[in-house]
Amino acid sequence: MVSTLPQLPADWSAPEGFSATATFSSPVKRQVEPVGPGFLAHARRTLRGRTWSEDEK
Amino acid sequence: MSGPTVIGLAFGNTTSSIAIEKDGKVELIANQDGDRAIASVISYVGSDEYHGAQAKAQLIRNAKNTVAYFRDFLGVSFDNVDPTNSHASAHPVELNGQASFSLKTEDDDEETGEVKPAKLLSVHEIAVRHLDRLRESAADYIGKAIDGAVIAVPTDYSEERRQAIVAAAKDANLKILQVINEPTAALLAHVSANGDSTDKKYAVIDIGGTRSDGAIIASRGGIFTILTTLHNYELGGKNLDEALVDFFAKDFEKQHKVDPKTEARAVAKLLAESESTKKTLSNTSSANFAVESVAQGYDYSLSINRLRFEVAARSVFTKITQFVEELIKKANLDVLDIDEVLLVGGTSAVPKVATSIASLFDESVTKISAPAFDTKAIQPDELISRGAAIQASLVAGYDDEEINESLQAVVTVAPHTTKSIGVKVGDNEYVEVIASETALPIRKTVTLSTPADATAVLVGVYEGASEIVVTKVEKEEKKDDAEDDESDWSEDEEDEEIRTKVLKPAAKIAELGLQNIPAGSKVEVVLNITRELKLQIAARAGSVAVRGETAVAHVA
Ligand SMILES: Nc1ncnc2c1ncn2[C@@H]1O[C@H](COP(=O)(O)OP(=O)(O)OP(=O)(O)O)[C@@H](O)[C@H]1O
Ligand SMILES: [Mg+2]
Repeated sequence: MVSTLPQLPADWSAPEGFSATATFSSPVKRQVEPVGPGFLAHARRTLRGRTWSEDEK
Repeated sequence: MSGPTVIGLAFGNTTSSIAIEKDGKVELIANQDGDRAIASVISYVGSDEYHGAQAKAQLIRNAKNTVAYFRDFLGVSFDNVDPTNSHASAHPVELNGQASFSLKTEDDDEETGEVKPAKLLSVHEIAVRHLDRLRESAADYIGKAIDGAVIAVPTDYSEERRQAIVAAAKDANLKILQVINEPTAALLAHVSANGDSTDKKYAVIDIGGTRSDGAIIASRGGIFTILTTLHNYELGGKNLDEALVDFFAKDFEKQHKVDPKTEARAVAKLLAESESTKKTLSNTSSANFAVESVAQGYDYSLSINRLRFEVAARSVFTKITQFVEELIKKANLDVLDIDEVLLVGGTSAVPKVATSIASLFDESVTKISAPAFDTKAIQPDELISRGAAIQASLVAGYDDEEINESLQAVVTVAPHTTKSIGVKVGDNEYVEVIASETALPIRKTVTLSTPADATAVLVGVYEGASEIVVTKVEKEEKKDDAEDDESDWSEDEEDEEIRTKVLKPAAKIAELGLQNIPAGSKVEVVLNITRELKLQIAARAGSVAVRGETAVAHVA
């Protein structure tokens, strides 16, 4: 599937090109499984406060 | 310098297995008998202790002094011990509120003729003996002492039961680095082996010897979250063995006018041969069942084909598919929501188990991972120990404090999205960027195209909602084709219904306008949900970039 963005409607305008309507639905707390390399990266991010971009290096 | 020697352990009521990761490869460790699936059985003949298959063989002659199916008794108060599976081996009796077994573990004194009495051995002590033998097998195989192990337990195990297993291991000189959940271990082994880290919703179905366990697990960015679990403590491979015992016992009775089921030893013999016949039928289309001196001195043998077995055990297969249906229902999901079914446990090697479960799903949507469909699939009874071994080598380099720190709720409990978040494309179509049930924080990027001559595009960020679309397809006239005999029985007149699931943009979150972009640009959209639960959105086409963020979301 090719995903093509729609053309910007002629009458569309928003300050600095951004308009927020709502936030995303309330998240729920769940337990992640403390297993696998993905979790270890998550634990490092949480405990060491690393950001995603630091993590990608 | 080489690191510590660590192993992964699967400890089931029926069988146990040991695995180790070496240089990125995981292998199963066989015991001294050459078994990779090691029977979780301990037996005593005088002071001689037997383990594994040798102990299991004692169920025929020495059932009372043989302990089998004991794992689920660990850490459970005696009032809650279900002795059903112990009726053909040592029975659990109470000792200090826990299960124990009355066993004779000493030789009688030949000189004085003194008969040594049986002693009560607690289930803890039995588990220690079992784990000690497993540790010994591993150490013999590797040629080094074992420094630590990761062990897997069912998801319904309380902290008490987990600690009871850790304590038994400790007394067997085996340091447990981490106790993990069985379905997660199996899934880790599976995704590691096929390198599949894509976001998927898995149904992990573990059909063992005495119990069946199911879990729906979301895999998002390499993080696993268990969404729903289901257990059946009366469904497993043992039911298949018993169906075969009934089948052969009836035939035996017809021939000899003796019901072999009235004799415990005859039943034990039939059961052992039934299990081995069942396993043979997983690989070949027919097997020979033969038992010497079943009852009243009569030998018995009969050849059985796979189809005959499948008919004899039909009700068990029905219960297994019902179990899977119930799991999906409990999770409030549709079969179309399941991307992959991972079949785990020894009984998942039975082709009919795999095909019955597969028949619930649409093969174009849901992948079924089992040896019956994929000859390269890992043996289902090896998945758990393999996953535990992978985890063991991941945590081997950390000290206890570091491991415990990462197991705290601040790390393991995370807000998860409840809806899919994505971008509206084309004519009210939707591209998912962050799946529902994704642990936060998360950052995801998607690259989208633009209409050929457009110099300004709209990036609409929405939550997606799934819809099940049912289309009726008129059935083709059935040709009277002799080759078509397999599907003859499904001659319902109704048109076929094709159900498909589609995600559509539903609630709008934000819009970004990108203007003055070169025609034919690619647009990169980054969705970043921060630790503070703000959704930051950035869209960029070449040097044109727009960004913004939503208000903070609140955890429900
Ligand atoms: N190749 C095979 N074909 C058919 N059945 C098999 C095969 N291999 C093992 N089994 C069956 O699988 C069952 C054991 O499953 P598994 O190894 O998952 O045990 P477990 O987790 O210890 O079981 P439990 O549910 O009792 O805790 C036994 O009933 C055994 O007969
Ligand atoms: Mg099991």
